[in-house]
Amino acid sequence: MLIGNSNSLSSCPGFRARPVSRREMLATAANGFGMVALSALMADGVRANSPVDVTAARRHFPVKAKNVIFCFMDGGVSHVDSFDPKPKLDELDGKPFTESKNPTANGNRQWLKSPWTFQKYGQSGMPISSLFPHTARCADDLAVIRSMKADLPIHSTGVLRLHTGSNNAGKPSLGSWVNYGLGSENRNLPGFVVLSFGVVPCGGLENFSNGFLPASHQASQFQADGTPIHNIQPADKDRRLQQAKLALLRSQDESFSRSLGTEDSIESAIQNYEMAYRMQSLVPDVLDLSRETEATQKLYGLDSKAPSQKLYGIQCLRARRLIESGVRFVEITCPPGASNGTWDQHGALKQGHEKNALDTDQAIAGLIHDLKQRGLFDETLIVWAGEFGRTPHSSGRDGRDHHPEGFSVWLAGGGTKGGTIYGATDELGMHAVENVSTFHDLHATILHLLGLDHERLTYRHAGRDFRLTDVHGNAIREVIA
Amino acid sequence: MRTRIIIVGLLAFAGSLWPANLIATRVHAQATPPPIDKQAEEFFEREVRPILVEHCQSCHGARKQELGLRLDSAEGLRKGSESGPVVTAGDIEQSRLITAVRYGDDTKMPPKGKLPAKAIASLEKWVKQGAVWPKEDSVPAKARAGVSVEAAKDHWAFQPIRSPAIPIVKANELVTTSIDSFILARLEAAGLPLSPEADRRTLIRRATFDLHGLPPTPEEVTAFERDVSPDAFKSVIERLLGSPRYGERWGRHWLDVARYSDTKGYVRLNENPRYPSSWTYRDYVIRAMNDDLPFDTFIVEQLAADLVKRDKGTRGSGDKETRGQGDKGKEEADARTLVPRSPDPLVPLSPAETSSAPSAQLAALGFLTLGQRFLNSPPDIIDDRIDVVTRGLLGLTVSCARCHDHKFDPVPTRDYYGLYGVFANSVEPRVPPLIVPAAQHAQFEAYLKELQSRSNQLDEYLRTQHAALTAAVRTRAGDYLLAGQHDPVQANFLAVMFLIDSKKDLNPVMTQRWARHLEQSRKGHDPVLAPWHALARLASASVRHQPDGAAKPAGETSSAPSDKTATPAEFATRASELIAQWPAPADGAPRLNRVVVEALFKPPPPSLAEAAQTYGRLLREAEQRWQRLLKESPAATKLDDPEWEELRQLLMGADSPLTLTIDDVEEFLFVDATTQQQLHAKQRLVTDWIGSPGAAPHAMALEDAKQPADTRVFIRGNASNPGEIAPRQFLAALTRGERQPFQHGSGRLELARAIASADNPLTARVLVNRVWMNHFGTGLVRTPSDFGLRGERPTHPELLDHLASLFTVNGWSLKTLHRQIMLSSTYRQQSASQSANQHVLAAARAKDPENTLLWSMNRRRLDWESLRDALLVVSGRLDLTMGGSSVDLFAPPFSSRRSVYGFIDRQSLPSALRTFDFAPPDASSPQRHQTTVPQQALFLMNSPFLRQQVQQLGARPDVTRLATTAEKINAAHRLLFGRPATADEIDLGEKYLSSATTATAEPVPEGQPQFLSPWEEYLQALLLSNEFVFVD
Repeated sequence: MLIGNSNSLSSCPGFRARPVSRREMLATAANGFGMVALSALMADGVRANSPVDVTAARRHFPVKAKNVIFCFMDGGVSHVDSFDPKPKLDELDGKPFTESKNPTANGNRQWLKSPWTFQKYGQSGMPISSLFPHTARCADDLAVIRSMKADLPIHSTGVLRLHTGSNNAGKPSLGSWVNYGLGSENRNLPGFVVLSFGVVPCGGLENFSNGFLPASHQASQFQADGTPIHNIQPADKDRRLQQAKLALLRSQDESFSRSLGTEDSIESAIQNYEMAYRMQSLVPDVLDLSRETEATQKLYGLDSKAPSQKLYGIQCLRARRLIESGVRFVEITCPPGASNGTWDQHGALKQGHEKNALDTDQAIAGLIHDLKQRGLFDETLIVWAGEFGRTPHSSGRDGRDHHPEGFSVWLAGGGTKGGTIYGATDELGMHAVENVSTFHDLHATILHLLGLDHERLTYRHAGRDFRLTDVHGNAIREVIA
Repeated sequence: MRTRIIIVGLLAFAGSLWPANLIATRVHAQATPPPIDKQAEEFFEREVRPILVEHCQSCHGARKQELGLRLDSAEGLRKGSESGPVVTAGDIEQSRLITAVRYGDDTKMPPKGKLPAKAIASLEKWVKQGAVWPKEDSVPAKARAGVSVEAAKDHWAFQPIRSPAIPIVKANELVTTSIDSFILARLEAAGLPLSPEADRRTLIRRATFDLHGLPPTPEEVTAFERDVSPDAFKSVIERLLGSPRYGERWGRHWLDVARYSDTKGYVRLNENPRYPSSWTYRDYVIRAMNDDLPFDTFIVEQLAADLVKRDKGTRGSGDKETRGQGDKGKEEADARTLVPRSPDPLVPLSPAETSSAPSAQLAALGFLTLGQRFLNSPPDIIDDRIDVVTRGLLGLTVSCARCHDHKFDPVPTRDYYGLYGVFANSVEPRVPPLIVPAAQHAQFEAYLKELQSRSNQLDEYLRTQHAALTAAVRTRAGDYLLAGQHDPVQANFLAVMFLIDSKKDLNPVMTQRWARHLEQSRKGHDPVLAPWHALARLASASVRHQPDGAAKPAGETSSAPSDKTATPAEFATRASELIAQWPAPADGAPRLNRVVVEALFKPPPPSLAEAAQTYGRLLREAEQRWQRLLKESPAATKLDDPEWEELRQLLMGADSPLTLTIDDVEEFLFVDATTQQQLHAKQRLVTDWIGSPGAAPHAMALEDAKQPADTRVFIRGNASNPGEIAPRQFLAALTRGERQPFQHGSGRLELARAIASADNPLTARVLVNRVWMNHFGTGLVRTPSDFGLRGERPTHPELLDHLASLFTVNGWSLKTLHRQIMLSSTYRQQSASQSANQHVLAAARAKDPENTLLWSMNRRRLDWESLRDALLVVSGRLDLTMGGSSVDLFAPPFSSRRSVYGFIDRQSLPSALRTFDFAPPDASSPQRHQTTVPQQALFLMNSPFLRQQVQQLGARPDVTRLATTAEKINAAHRLLFGRPATADEIDLGEKYLSSATTATAEPVPEGQPQFLSPWEEYLQALLLSNEFVFVD
């Protein structure tokens, strides 16, 4: 699959020197497992310009964003308590609401006003609730979509739909599509990383699946603590032992395929060990936050006494470092705070939402500031979204249920138009009524910002050209700068 | 790149099949423009066209035609959408376009937000004035029809399988089987030679991995190298085909196609995600392969094992003696001279037999049942079954026709729903049937007794719930009528978790049933419900005529004080006016139910809710009358008064939404957390027991519905939008001559026989191609599950037909096919990397870089199963126990069973499986990817599993007992690669083992994980080497 080596494609009439293969280089460098040859082999630039495997690797539109950080708000944040104020609820608070058709919202119901207050922020005057004091200071960087409409009020189908565009498992995740579409910037790191806290979201690991796309586009889950990637920890007692073993391996492979020419599969198998070797040291390096200044660490809330807030800060800071190192798509799941790390507060809304907001707010705002001060904000798209919102009514005085009919998500950076509010729900937050948008639209918008046309990013499978957006979706131009 | 070009070519080809001229004619015939009013034209251009352009045409125009509707031409407007015209000239109320822009019902257009009032008014005015559309010069309405079935019959794969003449070739001395003639003919035409035969060690390694997925032992290699008989390789092949390891390897290939998994995918909270007895299907497949079960029988059993039995008198399983083995020349016989054998030796069961005596073969139905469960959504489950049958067995992508006629292949939507009906009429028994022969029942006595007791508890629970539910929904019939009126019909209704308190709330499943029933009854005339519909229209009309003209979106809550609702007075007045006309209907007016009319007449209901209560009261009375009648005459079949009988039918007739079978009950129980828990607990009593260690085998079976019913086409795949009836029948494109609907039950057996037929142009070709692919790395058709118009054409069409026709003539025997392929010179040639002749190699690479002509063998990398199994072989740990429930391969201490017996959870596939390109079990998998990702290398370098194998390998006594390092190195090479080490390699190894780097390794204190010793490090390097993971 190394395109540059295939004779059939040498349409260029001029002579182009074939890149020296690792094997040839080794053969000329030294005998066996000398350290000199090894260090030459093992040191590869972080941003390697290797051809990519199976990717579409072409842009359809001007590129605004190069990378994506997806802050997945698992369980569904209440829109009327965060980015979509509904003063009408204050009036109706406590009055009965009888016609719930929502299967998760039952019992004797009443309207429930927001327990939090809204204030306007920034030049845009965007209203944001007191749940998110840090994010509020970034109001002019956010493009809030208030008119999202999802499908079913069930976590599993909702989370799958947010991730894959489909209610059912088996389709590739957004991050896989992005990697398929754009290829990798750093072959020594996986292109799609999920920074996880060990909680598998509803819908299962299928949410991060490459589906029918090749395995190279699968998500790698990095855990918040412990070993970040499976088998990343070298099994050998020290580094030199492993180097020696790999050098021996290469010598052994020499005799196997001494015969000739370039054999792509063999060559890439050899490269693959080298890449894995580098990944062993690179991943811990990228994830090592000790070299970040104290100020930066504080920015992300790493000094917090709340363990889950600190963990989320660590993941956000790691996300920035991964993006810097060329990882295309980083998803951050929710830390194990309230309700097992989700916003699913059917009860104890006040306590649960406050806990989750505390855990995530400062770190996300810190991420925005940090990206800006490093000049990365314009090329990094931040997506903040859950699978649905929460009902403006309640069966008690302190809880809200699943609400897919209208809710909010936001985008920031990566060529989005900051300070934008797009779409609207009705005056009670019940239904998206203006510029109704779906996850397909959100996906189309994300791809558009990355320079990809969601209708042209296709993969042939089962006799069909599949898309992330199936046969739906329109990029929301109004949130694009 | 190559793929792209071919696709474009085929698209052009497909395009040419559309009968463009026919469509153009039809369009012209329809175009009879009315006299045009100049003013109206101007109004259209000024006011209407801009609205259509700005708000409608992005979805209903040249680029997209949502619901088949185009609003960019007069023709498009006249044609309307899939469900008919959207504009009735002059009549606003009858024009769906107007209803949609008013947001008057479920269809709200444009979806992104309601048009300004002025725009709506313009559209209304336009329709009122006759919906004039100025004459246009061009006719943009491009045909959207699918591919004509007749035209597509020219496609190569739909042609009957021929038996082409075997080509004459120059290099006749290289022809060992007829395959070589076909391959050489093409090579010679291109001026390329076949590569020389591979050496013995390479050959036996290739053959053993191919047939067993395991490496040969050093002894087997030596024996073969020493065997000088001309039939030496043939003996190897026979030995391999005769071993049960064969079925484990080729069974796994089939499990890829069958999207086999031990779990259902995502399930409700407490539902058991595991299939209790999935493994019996896996074992059935392995056994079928080992027995060389004729493939047509294999197909029929997988689709209809419940409807057939094997006829022991003629040919059954495992009759190796009667076919093929060692019978020189038989597999080489020219297909044209052989008489096809009689149809498959399966005898249909009589209905009585169907319900008795389940056989072990029943497990074959796992092919259909073990797919994803999509939260138990029937249309999705059926779609999955259609997909696995059509792509898996026929290489045809029929699922595309779920929503629209297939755009590239000749599969109309009606054909999809013809198959849909087959599976919609096939149901799963509540308890998977036991497949233990009666003779063995004693052995399972305790198990069976407990099973019976648990099944009884489940049945009893369902019976109780059924009775309670039936009583409850009848009592509240009026409430449901009202709720059903307001509930939008949902396309894919799913009874979801913890929604109601069933003690007091209405059950949404019943509400939805009423919504559907009302929608259906609105389409015809129902004397009982017609008054209801009239009143309901009044109620909604009074809403629509609010002063601001804005209709309230359906589903919007009406309890919010801000909502505009009809005043009760308004409704009451209109209702009494309307009802007053009913007791004395005009002549010819459709009959209304007398009882209903009288009840509504005095006094007229002040609201629709009151009307619903009246209906509820009448229905309760109908039931009381019925109960009284039954007391007097228990044999009564109906109430004497036909008007009351009509009401009773709505309450308890077969078509009543209130009538529940015991199988319907589960869905109703899902919606309440308490009953859901109870139901799952009862179900798990059974499934956990069947899935427990020591359980008897059960089949994940299907059976025909007791009363098969026709299904209808779902327009745009929407189950709540039924269209014409789709008879259960086979695909038109694969039927020669008159097509007959299936006659028996669900039609599954007839479907199976239509597929497993030598006359079916696809089945044998598709299967032979899969076998070829698994021997050569690529198929003759490189899109192995897509033989349709967009699939690739075969590289060797004659060879494919030759193999397919021989295959059916030879009794659909896979083993015969293996012999035929593996004995050929084509199969036995060297891979390119072994070639010594650089000139020839360079020429071949230049002419045919992808080796489509097969001038050499393809080098292949071990797949996940072969790699893991090979590691276990060389470590000496491989456990050859066959069958039984699936085992966890990834939890330490690591199982040493063969990989095919590993537990497969499609919900959370272990990362190692994903990393090594395992076939995703979400859908039928045609072919494995071969990706190279660093996670593979990390697994091999660092995983605890690998370390365990290395340590075991290092401890093998046949190696450790050797005296010198050189001897040990040599033994390791023989074990891993089937050859002795070269002098260089011994030198390399000795240097490595004595070098300073490795010498630093020290023992770790007891209790700590031991680091590898230098010798183990050395062995690991050998295991990681390309020679171990590639097969030449």
